[in-house]
Amino acid sequence: MNTATLATYPTPGVHSGDSAVALDVSGRTISKADAKRDAEFASDALPWLDDVYRFALSLTRDEADADDIVQETYLRAYRSWHTFIPGTDCRRWLFTICRNVFLRSRERQRPTVDLEDGEQDAIAAGSVYAAARERGYDDLYAQLDLAPALRDALDELVEPFRSAVILVDVEDLSYETAAEVMGVPIGTVRSRLFRGRRLLQEKLLTVAQDLGFAAVTAGAA
Amino acid sequence: MSAPARPQLEALGLSSTCVDVLRHLWDYLDEEMTPAGSDRLRAHIATCAQCRSYEGYQTCFLEGIARLKASLSAPDTLRARLAEKLRGEGCGCWAQAKGRK
Repeated sequence: MNTATLATYPTPGVHSGDSAVALDVSGRTISKADAKRDAEFASDALPWLDDVYRFALSLTRDEADADDIVQETYLRAYRSWHTFIPGTDCRRWLFTICRNVFLRSRERQRPTVDLEDGEQDAIAAGSVYAAARERGYDDLYAQLDLAPALRDALDELVEPFRSAVILVDVEDLSYETAAEVMGVPIGTVRSRLFRGRRLLQEKLLTVAQDLGFAAVTAGAA
Repeated sequence: MSAPARPQLEALGLSSTCVDVLRHLWDYLDEEMTPAGSDRLRAHIATCAQCRSYEGYQTCFLEGIARLKASLSAPDTLRARLAEKLRGEGCGCWAQAKGRK
């Protein structure tokens, strides 16, 4: 990742180091401090735009709403850039802002879906696998182009399971980081993730069956 | 689909370690297990065809989700609007980041 820098130019009439000025890329005169801030924002925050967009889309399920959330996220991040600690995880910081912007936009609607025990969900995933094997789908994921079916299944997945899957499985966050972003304990992330994955697998199994991906054994359906 | 309890699974002929694989495989694949736990599962999976098959199934599933990342990116219209908003805030950062994705 390149780190863009602003060229600084000596400006007539400016004497002290504090008031040193720079010209930004459009030729506008700005303070050296602002130039540094903008350069840091460009190198640390902007590269995560796609990631923040995916997360926003996972929260809103609506492209226009996701656009609004992302814009507000970046505006807040820019205005609060002085609070970002250099060297820390900027993507996590942006995800946290994004989630807060989303919650505020929805007046902090709370998830109403009951959570199951994470262990039970993991074991239930074994049951989904057993069902897949019964139907001859045990190599389903190796043979089927998962992308279209997965996108549809993710769209249908309810919150808060969707966010957990997006953060951990798509954005590759650790359980701990996802927990910080979602503002919940690690155990809750784990439960949501496991249930989200299991629900996805159930949906994919249904899709495979609907598509006639493999012959269904008698009595298995 | 309700989850079978451990005694039911063991009654189906699954060993205690196979049940542990069912319980913890996702933790294991996510590298969220303790080293000792990971070693134990790895050793079992290496010798159990059923669990190895299950691991392959779940690995393919997780790889499929991870690949979605490449197909979902912010639209150009959003980039343009955000650039405009940030310019309105006095931020000259966007032009520096242009072309860098």
